[in-house]
Amino acid sequence: MATDPIDGILSRYVEVTGNLISLLHEVQSHFGYLPKDALYYLAKRTGIPITRLYSIATFYHFFSLKPKGRHEIHACTGTACHVKGASRILDEVKRKLGIEAGETTLDMQFTLNEVRCVGACSFAPVVVVGDRTYGEVSSRKISEILKKYQAGSDEPLAETTAKELPAPGSARKTIAAEALGSRSINVRVCMGLGGVAAGGAAVLKAFQELMAEKGLHGTFGKKCVDLVGCMGFCAKDVIVEVRIDGVLTAYQFVKPNMVSRIVDEHIVGGVPVKEWLSGPEYEQFHSKQNKVVLGACGTIDPEDIDAYCAIGGYESANRAISSMTPEKVIEEIKASGLKGRGGAGFPTGLKWELCRRAPGDRKFLICNADEGDPGAFMDRAVIEGDPHAVIEGMIIGAYAISASKGYVYIRAEYPLAVQRLRRAIAQARERGYLGTNVLGHGLDFDIHLKLGAGAFVCGEETALIASLEDQIGEPKPKPPFPVNKGLWGLPTCINNVETLATIPKIVKNGAAWFDAIGTGKSKGTKIFSLVGKINRTGLVEVPMGVALREIIYEIGGGIPKNKKFKAVQTGGPSGGCIPAMHIDVPVDYENLTAVGSIMGSGGMVVMDEDTCMVDVAKYFVSFCMDESCGQCTPCREGTRELYRLLNEITAGKGTLGHLTALEELSVVMRDMSLCALGKTAPNPVLSTLRYFRDEYEAHIHRQKCPAGVCKSLIKFTIDPEICTGCTACARQCPQKAIHGEKKKAHNIDQAACIKCGICFDTCKFGGVTKA
Amino acid sequence: MPTITLNGQTQEVPEGMSVLEAARMAGIDIPTLCHHEALGAYGACRVCVVWAEGPGQRPGLTAACTTPVSNGLAVQTESAAVQSARRVIFELLLGRSPESESLRSIAKRYGVTSTPYGEGARHDLCVRCGLCVRACREKIGTAAISFAGRGQGRDVSTEFGALSELCIGCGACAAVCPTGMIRVKDSGGERVILRDDLTIARFPLLTCTSCRAPLVTEKFMDLRLQGLPDGQSEVLCLDCKRKRTAATAESFANIWS
Repeated sequence: MATDPIDGILSRYVEVTGNLISLLHEVQSHFGYLPKDALYYLAKRTGIPITRLYSIATFYHFFSLKPKGRHEIHACTGTACHVKGASRILDEVKRKLGIEAGETTLDMQFTLNEVRCVGACSFAPVVVVGDRTYGEVSSRKISEILKKYQAGSDEPLAETTAKELPAPGSARKTIAAEALGSRSINVRVCMGLGGVAAGGAAVLKAFQELMAEKGLHGTFGKKCVDLVGCMGFCAKDVIVEVRIDGVLTAYQFVKPNMVSRIVDEHIVGGVPVKEWLSGPEYEQFHSKQNKVVLGACGTIDPEDIDAYCAIGGYESANRAISSMTPEKVIEEIKASGLKGRGGAGFPTGLKWELCRRAPGDRKFLICNADEGDPGAFMDRAVIEGDPHAVIEGMIIGAYAISASKGYVYIRAEYPLAVQRLRRAIAQARERGYLGTNVLGHGLDFDIHLKLGAGAFVCGEETALIASLEDQIGEPKPKPPFPVNKGLWGLPTCINNVETLATIPKIVKNGAAWFDAIGTGKSKGTKIFSLVGKINRTGLVEVPMGVALREIIYEIGGGIPKNKKFKAVQTGGPSGGCIPAMHIDVPVDYENLTAVGSIMGSGGMVVMDEDTCMVDVAKYFVSFCMDESCGQCTPCREGTRELYRLLNEITAGKGTLGHLTALEELSVVMRDMSLCALGKTAPNPVLSTLRYFRDEYEAHIHRQKCPAGVCKSLIKFTIDPEICTGCTACARQCPQKAIHGEKKKAHNIDQAACIKCGICFDTCKFGGVTKA
Repeated sequence: MPTITLNGQTQEVPEGMSVLEAARMAGIDIPTLCHHEALGAYGACRVCVVWAEGPGQRPGLTAACTTPVSNGLAVQTESAAVQSARRVIFELLLGRSPESESLRSIAKRYGVTSTPYGEGARHDLCVRCGLCVRACREKIGTAAISFAGRGQGRDVSTEFGALSELCIGCGACAAVCPTGMIRVKDSGGERVILRDDLTIARFPLLTCTSCRAPLVTEKFMDLRLQGLPDGQSEVLCLDCKRKRTAATAESFANIWS
């Protein structure tokens, strides 16, 4: 093996300590995996024991010790994808390729990975092949996609029926164009992951080219086509907003071939293209919201520091450092009532105060951007849409606690967010907002970007610190708390992305302003990612205390196909399911806890009558089982046993004793696990047992899955009255289990049926029944 | 010194102690698997569960080994809640390692003789207490073994499961292993260190300079001799060393008489 590349990578690091994970990322990106020889060589060069490198390489799922195939397939099984049938799609890929998740085909063409949430929940279910994201995939469509890659083409078919989307990161920077005559024209194309995934880059390019061609530029030197971050309303992406002399018109589902008509008729002719307008829904989705944190997302170019400064950016940091004492800043944040938005809801001002008071000259501030909850993408959108707000929040925080060094620990699964944040940090440094003598007020503070490597547990603060210290992500018992003894044993304050992005607004508008939003103990606004079985998916920012009903029906537009609302899952794997009977609960920390769930980081996955709650509990437990670090007994052994019990119930082999066992085990895990991952892992089980015991009992007593999800308990049959004998199902059946003559009723060979559901999806006449 | 109550008895205990140490000092029995006096608290096995309540300690179950004592802390080591949680934790461990004699015997002391768990799990003797890994890394300073994988796949391993390049053959890992998962086998002048089916390392043994009995590995000797003046490289087994000392003492005695 050539060692030059490794020498080259090493030469870029002044110090290896604290950079090991980044180093391994670089080695893997060079070789495509982590070759054994490379690790031995790295050990020799750095003096790090080879066992430690091996330990890290096998702990973090992002790293691979085996070469990967030419096409890497990531089948997303995040919560939103799961409730929309992701497991059937994964099964289909496995069957087609003859490999399990984590394996590579013998011909080295495909590597299949199961990933827990790529943050594109609005397009669930999602499959990523190479750097292409495919949304709204069905078992049938995935076959078409695979076939084409198997045929040897690197480029996907243009006519594939699945939503086919260019990769994040391929976004092109805006070319400045100028307004026509004296009119002010501004076109904003959503380029958050939703927009990018739906083809935003091509739309943006079409606008830029056409407007340049038509001479719609020139006089004012003002940008007229903007690349903007997430506008929130991902369900109708690509969203394009056209503002002419301040009059706003929004278009939905915009495709590149629609651009010329919009330019000709609307921008030049002054008459909007009626049939493509977004209609009252767009207005309704946004009007009910209060965008304190998301305000700039979707309105400014996230890649341009001037755009941020133009809306008052960095003024709060300037004001805090120049005219407030650190104590005063902390007082202000305490008075605002802001609580941490990452999940635990610890008062931010108090955390800052504890860290400020902790003895020590060197302190750290860490921004936790390891957003791992499946079905949640608030932090990704904030970073992609308004990265400077996070940086400004960190500067204010660093001043308050007296930290000289800051880190952003961010998921490697978010390439676009990483790219935008990296650019933003570089811009801030260039302007003197980071580095020595920040903003000219004598504060020394710089921010370093650190990538995670695929471990949900690293969102837990002690595990996050371990990861920054070149260790595997093993949580440590508290006390000591990080504010006293954190990174490298020094006082460390860890805040979440949304929390930090809120800080500049509080400093700007005052604690009283923030305190006036929300309810008794929950202040301000909260961002939720509203996904699953809901008409309008996307990011929603509402004042604390808004009724759940309002979010789901008024903002989210209710449940598709008039299905019955069953529950909403909040708080991810640590949270719980809130049933229809509590739909009027005010959404704040206290009330969500009272109904057996948690606020969590803001994931909100809506479930309808077709969602099996036992299956949902099993889904979350399997997530925690995969993500458990394996250190403590209750979490390592307990998640596996919970999974086994739930699996037996969903297979129709459960007894009432299973329910007692689930409860007993859950309580011990909650009380005795070492960290929050294990302590909260049983929550989805406990909350579904509390509200949906009848569903558990149906599986146990009647061997029935009322929602028709659990494979062992359902049966597909063809209704001879409806079947037209069109043979569509028989042709699609992967088992060739459907027989019958053309134009005559078909039937399913139950012994051969694997219950993949493709026939059910294929039949246009509703002739396949599932019961 | 903080004052705490242990099962209703008031005790003064030194500052900085853990509840586990305080209880053991007071002669109260609390089981442990991942705890070792020579190594810091780790908090992994959780069998040292106790009930604690006091200033700065939310009332509830906690691991005694990682809970610091504080003034006014009240601890119960045998309440119904403690016993019930401890039973489940032992059952979970037995589900993974049903064949471990030592685990079975500790569990039995606390009334746990069977387990409803473990079906479909990968069984072995390892309770993932990490003592071997920590002893090797923290005390010997070699890091010949480490944890590999995570969650269900967490195992003690050498790099890539290969014969270790770093092991010095001291056997500290086997000495601290509570279940016999890691063993040292000396036979035919050779030392083999094993983690059940995995051979961690294999060494020829140096023999006693005096009686020629197989003794220690060369790498271990190198480590022991570090910093000692040259010439002190004689390797003696305990018996020969004792004889040598006795002989020296005798010769001194002769001089005096």
